[in-house]
Amino acid sequence: MSKKLTVIPEQCSDCRICELVCAIKHFGVNNPKKAAIRIVNTYPHPVMRMPVVCSQCRVPACAQVCPTDALRWVDGVVQLYEEDCISCFKCAEACPFGAIYAHEDCNLPIKCDMCGGDPECVKYCPLGALRLIPEHALGDTKRISNVLSYTQMREIEFYEKGEKKTIRYAEIGKEEL
Amino acid sequence: MSIKSGYFRKHLFVDLTRGSAEYLDLSDAFLEKYIGGRGFGAKLVWDNLKKHDYKLNPLGEENLIVIAPGPLTGVYLPSSGKNSFIGISPATGLYGDSSIGGSFGVELRQSGTDVLSITGKAPEISVLFVDNHEIKIIPMPELKGKTSLEAEGIIREKLDVQTAHIATIGPAGENLVKFACVNTDWGRNAGRTGFGAIMGAKNLKAIIVRGHQDLPVYDIQGLMEEANKAYDYLREHKYFKLWQQQGLMNVIDYANEKGILPTYNFKDSVFAKYDQINGATMLDSYKIGDNACFACSMCCSNICLVKNGEYAGTVVEGPEYESCAMFGSNVGVDNFAAVLSANRLCDELGLDTISAGNLIGAIIEGYEKGILSLADLDSQEITWGDAAAILNLIRKIANREGIGDIIADGSRRIIERWPEMDKLILEVKGLEQSAYDSRAGSSMALAYATSDIGAHHTRAWTIAREMEEGQSWSDDERVKTVIYHQTLRPLFDMLGVCRLPWIELGLNERHYENFYRYITGNELTLEQLLALSNDIYDMTRLINVRLGVSRKDDSLPYKVHSSPSLTGPNAGKVIDKDAFQNLLSLYYRERGWNEDGIPPADLEKKFED
Repeated sequence: MSKKLTVIPEQCSDCRICELVCAIKHFGVNNPKKAAIRIVNTYPHPVMRMPVVCSQCRVPACAQVCPTDALRWVDGVVQLYEEDCISCFKCAEACPFGAIYAHEDCNLPIKCDMCGGDPECVKYCPLGALRLIPEHALGDTKRISNVLSYTQMREIEFYEKGEKKTIRYAEIGKEEL
Repeated sequence: MSIKSGYFRKHLFVDLTRGSAEYLDLSDAFLEKYIGGRGFGAKLVWDNLKKHDYKLNPLGEENLIVIAPGPLTGVYLPSSGKNSFIGISPATGLYGDSSIGGSFGVELRQSGTDVLSITGKAPEISVLFVDNHEIKIIPMPELKGKTSLEAEGIIREKLDVQTAHIATIGPAGENLVKFACVNTDWGRNAGRTGFGAIMGAKNLKAIIVRGHQDLPVYDIQGLMEEANKAYDYLREHKYFKLWQQQGLMNVIDYANEKGILPTYNFKDSVFAKYDQINGATMLDSYKIGDNACFACSMCCSNICLVKNGEYAGTVVEGPEYESCAMFGSNVGVDNFAAVLSANRLCDELGLDTISAGNLIGAIIEGYEKGILSLADLDSQEITWGDAAAILNLIRKIANREGIGDIIADGSRRIIERWPEMDKLILEVKGLEQSAYDSRAGSSMALAYATSDIGAHHTRAWTIAREMEEGQSWSDDERVKTVIYHQTLRPLFDMLGVCRLPWIELGLNERHYENFYRYITGNELTLEQLLALSNDIYDMTRLINVRLGVSRKDDSLPYKVHSSPSLTGPNAGKVIDKDAFQNLLSLYYRERGWNEDGIPPADLEKKFED
């Protein structure tokens, strides 16, 4: 699997639909506290709502601390092999993002399995804050917005078929950078 | 027919005087008859009122505050984050309720509680912590005088409850301001009818809830399919994106265009500078994020930040239409940053923005007309659009300083002190009117007059339909429309869901009978659910009748009958007194109440068990 579940926190409204559909899909119950994705809302200081979910790291910190090798990166997903798991929850403590969860009803750690490649949370997010994108496209949005916000850009106005338009460009050689 | 799921069947009853908390069992009959939310609340308030022989001080320890989500709250279906506060209102002395969105009610349900009720008074400033089934009443005198948001921050840190949901009151609640509100999740308020003051009178600064339990659902697959149909419908609606982008702020343009936007204390109903305080202005310069209630794809709330100028750094959860109209056009403010600042200040101090904005508008007009002297204003002049003076007056109300001490006791106290203010203040039953002018629509006027909590649009918001298609309605159609709204909208408050998907985007109300069935396993049709909601309307009327209400109280403010809007499409229009009385008689007949607005004597028996 070469697609990544990506979070765009600026788009998140904290509606928690992702949490609900995740828990319903994996446990068959209506309980956002059993989801493998949770929105952390730090409003008002700072103003930020961020869904926290497993990044499926290629060098997973969770797997490194797992004493029974129950977590393994296979085909783009850090899989939890339930039969090997001893429920020590070392993985939950080790994850640098806090993206592995625990619930008193559940013996095993709660961790994103990418729903076999078609994550429910991505399908149901009403604002597009969760996206599934190819690995090679990671960072594209940021790259483009960074280029567009380049401060040395100039702008001219012109008319095309009577309609006023603008074009922005970066001028060569004349600025003292 | 029976309740198979959907409830924990637990009522958490807390007595702050005794420092006790106990879980009481809820019977099938109770669950089926009262459903949840406002239904549970009205019944518990009614029982409590009977226990006290129908004499009860809203700010006494005997007043019961009920916090009730519904069986749909927190479940996977559109906008299921609603929760009601119910009690006898200090603003009106009558039945009161106010609902909030967000996640507070969801968390309360996840603690395994269907309804929480609180009586008594703590010996010192305390917080109530519902931590799954562990209940603690914790004295926190250090919270005294803290604002709602400060208190929430301190509680999160001191009790180490980063992920809990918290309802707090600000200084206005502690000072028993009659329109003090309860703030949850940093900016969602149970605004109306003074629940902040009830909590303040109980020395209850905050309620913290944390829960992890599964919410009981009878048929989760069926529910999921039904919910997806509803979500799909909403997503495809032509105005869905507009709601996501502007939320309730889109109503400013609509209200101005239709001539129902309160302007200069309802002297006018259009505002020349409406485009300085509308949704487009918000999007251009202030909005930094969306904010949704639990499970809501419409996300009608916004997060705004003032990035520069005098009010730089002001961050607000909101504003929504009411706050913006009341602290914008109604007080003549055309600076959106100042509106945000007033909204934030009210959140901090714990004041209802509707009542506060309404009364400040009336005070400005009172001073303009010479009813109030400069000395009455503590030598601090206040005029239309003077944001600094308005913010100052908000502080004085919350802290009960100078004239603020009188305003803090609400419209009836102001009228008692300056009788001529009766002609300027728009209120019904002592509750200040919300931000829809009713002079252009007699169904809306009837809705305000007969709302069980006073002049609020939550029970029936018929103004839009009347503007669109109702100009030629017969009286009968007007009455039936109002009663249908007063039956369906409170049903949403019983189920614990938001009404906006229905009223704004036309989501078919039939979905709700299916949601209810998939969650509870109880097969009731929409008509049967509506009949249960109608019973609750009878019950809140019985409560109010026992507290002295009759036809004389279902009256309209002076301006609605006698002082038309100056300009705009509805210039010159007022509600004719005789025509309104005819409408009211028709309304009573339709409800089965007598000519004086009193339900039949034997109706009380219906609510004995």
